[in-house]
Parts: sequence; C-alpha cells; structure tokens
Amino acid sequence: MKRISIDPITRLEGHGKIEIFLNDEGDVANAYFQVPELRGFERFSVGRLAEDMPVITNRICGVCPEAHHMASVKALDMLFGVEPPPAAKKIRELLYMAFYVTDHTTHFYALGGPDFIIGPDAPPSERNILGVIRKVGLDIGRQVIDCRARNHHVIEMLGGRGVHLAGGLPGGWSKSVSEDERKEIEEIAKKNIDFALFSLRIFDDLVLKNKQYLDLVTSDVYLHKTYYMGTVDDKNRVNFYDGMIRIVDPDGKEFVKYSAADYMQHIAERVEPWTYLKFPYLKNVGWKGLVDGIDSGVYIATPLSRLNVSDSMATPLAQEQFERMFEAFGSKKIDGKSNGRYQPIHHRLATHWARLIELLYAAEHMLELSRDPEITSPDVRRIPQRIVGVGIGSVEAPRGTLTHHYVSDERGVLTSVNLIVGTTNNYAPMSMSIRRAAEKLISKGRIVEEGMLNRIEMAFRLYDPCLSCATHFLPGQMPLKVIIRNSSSEIIRTLQRD
Amino acid sequence: MKTVVIGLGNPILTDDSVGIRVSRVIGDLLSQQPETAESSDTIEIKEVYAGGIRLMDAMTGYDRACIVDAMVTGRFRPGEVSEFRLEDLCSTRNISCTHDTNLSTALEFGRMLGLHLPTTIKIWGIEACDVTSFGEQLTAGIEHAVPVAVSAILSALFGELQIDAAADENVNVSVNVEGAIP
Repeated sequence: MKRISIDPITRLEGHGKIEIFLNDEGDVANAYFQVPELRGFERFSVGRLAEDMPVITNRICGVCPEAHHMASVKALDMLFGVEPPPAAKKIRELLYMAFYVTDHTTHFYALGGPDFIIGPDAPPSERNILGVIRKVGLDIGRQVIDCRARNHHVIEMLGGRGVHLAGGLPGGWSKSVSEDERKEIEEIAKKNIDFALFSLRIFDDLVLKNKQYLDLVTSDVYLHKTYYMGTVDDKNRVNFYDGMIRIVDPDGKEFVKYSAADYMQHIAERVEPWTYLKFPYLKNVGWKGLVDGIDSGVYIATPLSRLNVSDSMATPLAQEQFERMFEAFGSKKIDGKSNGRYQPIHHRLATHWARLIELLYAAEHMLELSRDPEITSPDVRRIPQRIVGVGIGSVEAPRGTLTHHYVSDERGVLTSVNLIVGTTNNYAPMSMSIRRAAEKLISKGRIVEEGMLNRIEMAFRLYDPCLSCATHFLPGQMPLKVIIRNSSSEIIRTLQRD
Repeated sequence: MKTVVIGLGNPILTDDSVGIRVSRVIGDLLSQQPETAESSDTIEIKEVYAGGIRLMDAMTGYDRACIVDAMVTGRFRPGEVSEFRLEDLCSTRNISCTHDTNLSTALEFGRMLGLHLPTTIKIWGIEACDVTSFGEQLTAGIEHAVPVAVSAILSALFGELQIDAAADENVNVSVNVEGAIP
C-alpha cells in the first residue's frame, strides 16, 4: 500500500499531519487528518477551585479565549446552582457577539476568503490577505483592521481585559454597563452591520457571480450527507450563547434536541488504532467509520451545521440572507410550510457563506442587545449560596459546539474535568473532506500533483480547525510537505512548497 | 525610540510559556529602574498569546520589537537560545492552516495599510521539550534558558539604546501584562 504524507507545519497554531493511504489499485483507500492534541488538562485542573476555571480555561487557546470563558462560566452557574440575573446574561451575550464579529471577519478575509477572492488555483503567495487587498482594494484592509480593533475594544470594555477576559463569575458578571458604554457599543454594532453587509456583497460579486467559483461551491468535491449539530433558541433559531442542542439527520429531520447537560447520553467518542484522537459521534446512531449517510453517527458542528439545524435566524437581515443561501442550493422546506426549516445544505464549501450570515446575525444581535433597556441594569450578580457539585456549560464556539463539564466536591474543589472543544466535533468530517479532495486527484496510481495541496488545504480550512492551540510561529517555514511512499514505506517522491 | 518586548506563548502549556516567563523577568528588572519623566525612549513589555495578525497588532505603534518564543525544531539542544531575523524565519508568505496568516504576511498587510510598525524586529527562540502538556512549570533543561535569554535581550536592548540615545540615556519602562493565573 502506498502512503502519501502531507505534513503542514504552520507558524501559528501548531501543526497537523495528513496521511493518505492508497489501495493496491492505486486509488485512495483512506485519508486521515491527525491533529497533535494538547494533553493533561484534566490533571492540570483537578484540585483547583472550580471558580478559577473561567480564568484558567481562557488560557487554553490564544484565539478563542472568549468561548472558553463563556462555556466555563455557564458550567459554574450550574455547579453553584445559581441563575444569573437577566442583565448579566445579556452582557455575556453582548460580549460574545463582539467576539464572533472579530473571529468570523478574520477567518473570511485572512483564511477562507482568499480561496475564492483570489482563486483556488492561484499561487499560495497570492492566496492570502495581501492578495485580497490587491484585488478588492486597500480600503477593505483598513475596514478589517478597524472592525477587529473596535470589537476588541468592546471585549476589553465588558470583559475587563483584552485577551484573557475576567468578567465572568458564577451567578453573573463582575461589572455592569454604563450608559456611555452602551451608547458607544450601539454605534460599534451599527458599523458592524454595515461591514457584514459589505462582506456579503463581496461574496456575492466575487464568488456567486463567478461561474467557476460557484461551480466549485456547488460541486460534489466537498459534499457529505451527515448529521448536523447546533444550538437553537426556543423558536429553533440560531443561538451562539444559550439554548438546546439540536441534531438533524441528513434529510433535515430533527433527530434529537437535548439540553447540553445531557450531552453524554447523545455523544460518544470513538478511539481508532491509528491515532490517539477521539472521534465524537452520535451514540444513538452508532459508529460506522469515516463515512457519511443516515446510518453513520458522524456529525459536523460548524457555521453551516448551525444554519442547517435552525428553522430561521433571529434577526431580519440575517434571515434574508439565510433564505437566499438555502434557495441558491435548491433546498426545499422540510414540511412544505413557508415558515419551516430548509433541507440541509451538504456542500461543505457553503460553510464560508454560512459564516458571513452568522457575522451579520452577530452584528444585528449586538445592536439589539445594546438597545435593550436592561443592558445597563446594575443587577448583574447573584451570589452563589450552595454547591451542587456538577456543572456543564455549552456555547457555540465559532469552530463548533464547545462543552465544559466539571465535577467538584462539597468544597468546590474540582475532582473531574472534561472538555469537548469545537474542532474535536469535526475530526471525522475533516478526514472525510480531505479524502474526497484526494480522490479527485489520485486515480489508478496516477497522482495529480498540481493543485493537490491547495485542494486538500481547502478541505480542512473551511472547518477552521484549531490545530493544537499552541502559539508557535518558530521556526516558520515549510508550510506544506508531501511525502509519497511506496508499499515498503520508502520515499519515492517529495513535494514541498517553498 | 519606542520598543516593545513581547513574550509569546501559552502561559499554561509547560515549555510553551518560556517566552512569557522571559518577558516577565525583563519587566521585573526594568521596572526596578528609576523612572525619568524626560526621556523619549520607552520600553514596554507585553504578553501575546497568538501569532499572525494578533502579533502584528501588538507591535503596532513601536519602532523596535523584540519577540521571544519557544520553538521545537530538533536542530538545537533543549534550552538553547538562538537569535533570528524575521527573514530567517519567514522567507515565504504562504497562507498556512491557521486562523489567519503568518507573521511576515501580517506585517506586510499592516505596512500596506500605513500602520506604524517596527523597523527593527529581533526574535529569540528557545528550543523547548514539552509544548503539548498543560503545566505551569518549565521542564528542567528549559528553566536554565530563562536567564540566558533575559541577558541576551537586555544586551540587545541597551547596547543599541546607548548608541541611539547618546544625548539621553534615560529610558522609561512600562509593564503591560495580565499576570499569572490564580
């Protein structure tokens, strides 16, 4: 059996490794995306005071500390048996919307967007944010920087610190919002809406009106009929901060809707001999391997899945875009009614479009929250009076559903900790997408080198995986390397991008 | 001249925290110096937890940047401190499978937009052992690298400042870090 190894060594967030196995006929038998996982978080946490977790877990990752902070503080609400006042929940959500705006903006312009704005076959030296600026104009670069800066300002204002925010406490939030702060956030939210609409127009003009790119988005290269996961509110609308976890099957039928606290009844983790990673899957469907279909428990948790499980968006402009996207893919309403859910979109590259719709929703919801009369209430904390001993908190992180599960003794000292991070949900589907990309380029022993790295990168980039949450950029070279081995594991060819 | 010293890494990921520890020691040492109101030379200490555009953001507004980070190359002995130039590290601008982009691309992005970015960027890498386990202690061999790196960075800082600031040798220092976890 031939083995092709693609080894991306990145400068920022650790690295992953892609292994492609060929069968005796020279076709792709399997593809695996191996992520170097961080170890020992439970050991690190056990014995600490539970209330320290929001300021510990937000150090797990330099990219999404806000998501860990929110999941953690929600777990503490449950562990201490305390319900935060409405204003505290709204402040948390307001901050979380600002985080989503920065995160989705960065992904689209710096990482995902270049594949379309510059083109999937453009040289990698152009397929980056510099290429985007050259194509769309310098002003867009300034807008990206301004968008990041103003929303980081909101995060710092509400969270007390810029990166490792400290606002979350069991039972509430550590500071209230002043009227001056509220007014400033309202103006920022308006700018965010304009920016989100502008970004969707760019997507329209440069992707949807370009036949080549539209064909790529709607082709079967990255198509998988899996289950989908996302958090929905009481009207089955997308919600990033709170709600029930909804799973729909590949036909769009609701499979289950459950409280995050019950996640262990629905999600199991599969261990495979070739990797130390655990693959989450739907326990009540079962593990059938890295395959799609209604009998396979593989699911995804991404911007696309969140839209697939939802009946609608909670804000008007995002709802318009939601309808446009599903109708562009020919999706019909599940129940034939005008206000029902659409059939899911299985084309994974639509995730980039879904991410922009979520960006607009986050901006609109930020404006709603900033105008909520309760947002400036000084009542932002209920002091915990007891220790329940078990806390499970869940939010939609930009990269998928994030769950924190803590168990403590009667003093509030942690005895057990389990996290399911966003990227983990997508390990199996990422491998499946990489395999699908490889199958198009490898046939009967013939390996098309041209474009292989790009197409495989595109397969996992759309999931925006966290590849280890480490921050190294040293030594900062060799972003991609392909090693092709013969059946004796000898290297017969090496492809390397300079 | 405005200088920023950046400790890069994850503060709870064993040896990945070494850059942050070095920056904290430098901050402690410099904050013991008497502050002078007149000097135009300043040194700020920052902790940064992610690369790419976030790292570029942290360097905006400075004339000179010193970055210290862990690295795992297999080419050096654990704990060995090496100095690099940006061009040594990032000869390409390939987009990489990260959440945004690499540092050289981020810097070029910032310069295209006219941001005030350092003209001098020095980078120290400390060969690490364990960067995938959670822990607040450095492994034994890496602990010894901290004073070596501190000394190297201070030499670079003050060697140049004595030349650049012949008329004004006083330097103001501010430390801008979030502190250790509880």
